[in-house]
Amino acid sequence: MATKIETRELNAWYGRRQALYDVSLAIPEGEVTAVIGPSGCGKSTLLRCLNRLHEETPRARVSGEILLDGEDLMHLDPVAVRFRVGMVFQKPSPFPNMSVFENVAAGPRLLGVRGNDALDAAVLEALQLAGLWEEVADHLDDPGTSLSGGQQQRLCIARALAVHPEVLLMDEPCSALDPIATNKVEALIATLKARYTVVIVTHNLAQAVRVSDRTAFLYLGKVVEVDRTSQLFGSPREKLTENYVTGRFG
Amino acid sequence: MTRPRPGQPARRLRWLRRLGQVVHAGTALLAAGLIGLLALLAYVLVEFAEPSIRRFGFGFLSSSTWDGIHNVFGAWPQIGGTLITSALALLLAVPVALGSAIFLSEIAPSWLRSPVTYAVDLSAAIPSVVYGFWAYLVLVPLDAQTIEPGLSWLSGGRGPFSAPERFTGSDLFTASIVLAVMMLPTISALSREALRAVPRTQRESALSLGATRWEATRMSVLGPARSGILAGVILGLGRALGEAIAVTMVIGNIPILPGTVFSSGTTLASWLVTGFSETPPGLEQDALIELGVILLVVAILVNVLARLILARFRDREGEEPPRPLWRRRRRLRGPLLPTSASAPTATRVPTGSAFLRRRRARRAVLWAAIVVTAGCTVLVVLPLASVVATAAQLGGSAVLQPGFYSGTTPIGCNARAGVTCPVGGIGPEIQGSLVMLGLAALIAVPVGLLAGIYLSEYGRNRFGRTVSFVADVLTGVPTILLGVVVYVVFLMSYHDAAHSALSGGVALGLIMLPIVTRATEEALRTVPVALREAALALGFPRHRVTGRVVLGCARGALITGILLAGSRAIGDAAALLFTAGGSNFYLQNLTTPTASLPWFIFQNFNSPYLNLQTDAWGAVLVLLLIMLVVSIGARLAVRPVGDAAGAG
Repeated sequence: MATKIETRELNAWYGRRQALYDVSLAIPEGEVTAVIGPSGCGKSTLLRCLNRLHEETPRARVSGEILLDGEDLMHLDPVAVRFRVGMVFQKPSPFPNMSVFENVAAGPRLLGVRGNDALDAAVLEALQLAGLWEEVADHLDDPGTSLSGGQQQRLCIARALAVHPEVLLMDEPCSALDPIATNKVEALIATLKARYTVVIVTHNLAQAVRVSDRTAFLYLGKVVEVDRTSQLFGSPREKLTENYVTGRFG
Repeated sequence: MTRPRPGQPARRLRWLRRLGQVVHAGTALLAAGLIGLLALLAYVLVEFAEPSIRRFGFGFLSSSTWDGIHNVFGAWPQIGGTLITSALALLLAVPVALGSAIFLSEIAPSWLRSPVTYAVDLSAAIPSVVYGFWAYLVLVPLDAQTIEPGLSWLSGGRGPFSAPERFTGSDLFTASIVLAVMMLPTISALSREALRAVPRTQRESALSLGATRWEATRMSVLGPARSGILAGVILGLGRALGEAIAVTMVIGNIPILPGTVFSSGTTLASWLVTGFSETPPGLEQDALIELGVILLVVAILVNVLARLILARFRDREGEEPPRPLWRRRRRLRGPLLPTSASAPTATRVPTGSAFLRRRRARRAVLWAAIVVTAGCTVLVVLPLASVVATAAQLGGSAVLQPGFYSGTTPIGCNARAGVTCPVGGIGPEIQGSLVMLGLAALIAVPVGLLAGIYLSEYGRNRFGRTVSFVADVLTGVPTILLGVVVYVVFLMSYHDAAHSALSGGVALGLIMLPIVTRATEEALRTVPVALREAALALGFPRHRVTGRVVLGCARGALITGILLAGSRAIGDAAALLFTAGGSNFYLQNLTTPTASLPWFIFQNFNSPYLNLQTDAWGAVLVLLLIMLVVSIGARLAVRPVGDAAGAG
């Protein structure tokens, strides 16, 4: 498989605190890559670097290269990068002042999609991709925040998909959801990898095993090990990884 | 240790329980006093305005005559002037304030944010008499010579912007600008807080869709912050409607509603300021007090509205979301796509040159937004810079003289060849201000603290909520009304001290009281429940938990609240005009007329004598310095204790 995103010697700081140390990581196209590690190890920071959201934090800094299709995205317009690399957050974050429809239509509108038919088609497609269409077909005019937590999260996924990103970043997308909603989101991730490259940060090791093809283990801001998920959980090469995946720390 | 132990006699336990009941009842009584205070304000004003109300009825509101010789009075010019100046001020201030709030919350780089935010908050603390003095010297000539002729030329010389016989600069338009300048920091700060309260993921979600910062603000931040911004605007409006001193200094003050905003007029509050001290008891005074009644009704309505919006805004956080204001009925038509993931997707995203053009256009909009909002921010802090520069230039020579802080008011004099003017000072004014502030604190700090303790610790019920609501409304009551009511009450009960440090202190105390109460309540609410429960679990009685644990943790925030209340009081001129009166000499006892810094500035702002003007600017500098020290002190007071609470 071709590499979709690659970081080279990536360092990231919040003020004086360094969050990532020389992270070099290749993320293949059309697969689900999971990033695991104990709290505060830099998983989310890594994810936020991949669509240049990290730099929106006050006093945040970054050095190193991040290649998207071989092009260093630190030299690209961040707005154009984020349109190609979408993101879903830990807490469902539908825009509270917009209806279900408007939430999904927000991205296409930004891209200049005009006219009722074109917008309808874009929203319909995104909602179907996110597996939410049947549930919200009669509630398109309700506020996005009136849905259940799991539906809200899938609405956010639909919203991200509506701009046809190449990569979808998910920052612990299920940690605020109940088990049934989690199941639905995990099933959705499985269907997404046919079209998108997915990077998912998770606390939940079982989830990483269920949804991902490859897993990267981060510890104290460094990549300890990257491998096929089955390999990393089955016979890790590093002692540290083994301790973590067998629950001896973290 | 005073906590009861198993071996302690039952008597002590009984005593502690009794003490707890006394604390509960006592603080509740003081809290109820705030409701009583608002009722008293309304009662006194209505009672004294009654002859006028009965004589003129509703015609008072629409009649335009103010004739003290034939005893015919009508308030339409005052009402109209108030409406016009406030509306124009809102029109000028809201877009600028909102732009600056967006800049400071969403766009500015972080190194720029905190100093500029600090400057905005500082400009909100500048007393209105200082703004008025500054406007009289800087704005009035600027308006008369440049802005007003230009605007009237632009408008084609017709309508509300048509040219008067002569551009004096002392008119409704200048008053509106002063009001706008005074509203700007308030609206800007409150809007900024509303924007900041929107969770960060909202912005990041929008950014992750490929939105620019400006688009993210529009999509995900302005909507949720809407009601907070609206409340800020209404609170700013409340401040404008009741502003007396600064408007009086620049509006010309004639009881006429002119056909153009470039002519002199008056407002409710400024007519009250001008007329009240010179009017003997009689129908005219009653009519003036009726103006106060109108003012009180308007102030209460506006503040109730703003607080209701804010309360709804706060309650709603994390609960049922608001329905969108404009609902567009949508039903998706068209064939359902096959849900299998391998289906081909038609790309509806514009590509090629159209897309590039759109991207350029979006970037241009972003830059326009940055430039415009940054410009708004400059406009918000510009008055502060100009006030400080003017005061330093005109009063700098005064404050550098050592005798300035102890000397008394000099005889008015202009330096000429062969004439040296006596060097005066503002010793009596400093002394009077401090004495009255002390009296005010003596009233407001204990009462406000205890009432605030009640609201936070016992007042989680309808009564408690009502009291905090009333306290909020009281902070919005124009201070001139407090002055009138205190004066009238003293006249009736302690006639000899109607103009005295005592009545001035009481008036300032009434300014501070609701602020201290609400600040205390808010400060104590921030102390975590777990800490209270931990202390209760140790066997502390409730009142001792409050006394020992809660007050200790909130110490910094309490000091901040008191300091800010004090700085509001010490700069207030309107409340002192009728109560403390004024004097050129040091205070001998508390029952005689007393000098104060704001009063001194108000007396001499248009003095023909240069040395008095210089001293007035010196007094401005002293007031500004006090504000600066207080705001720095307030910041320092919060920090260390906040850290300690965090660690514990």
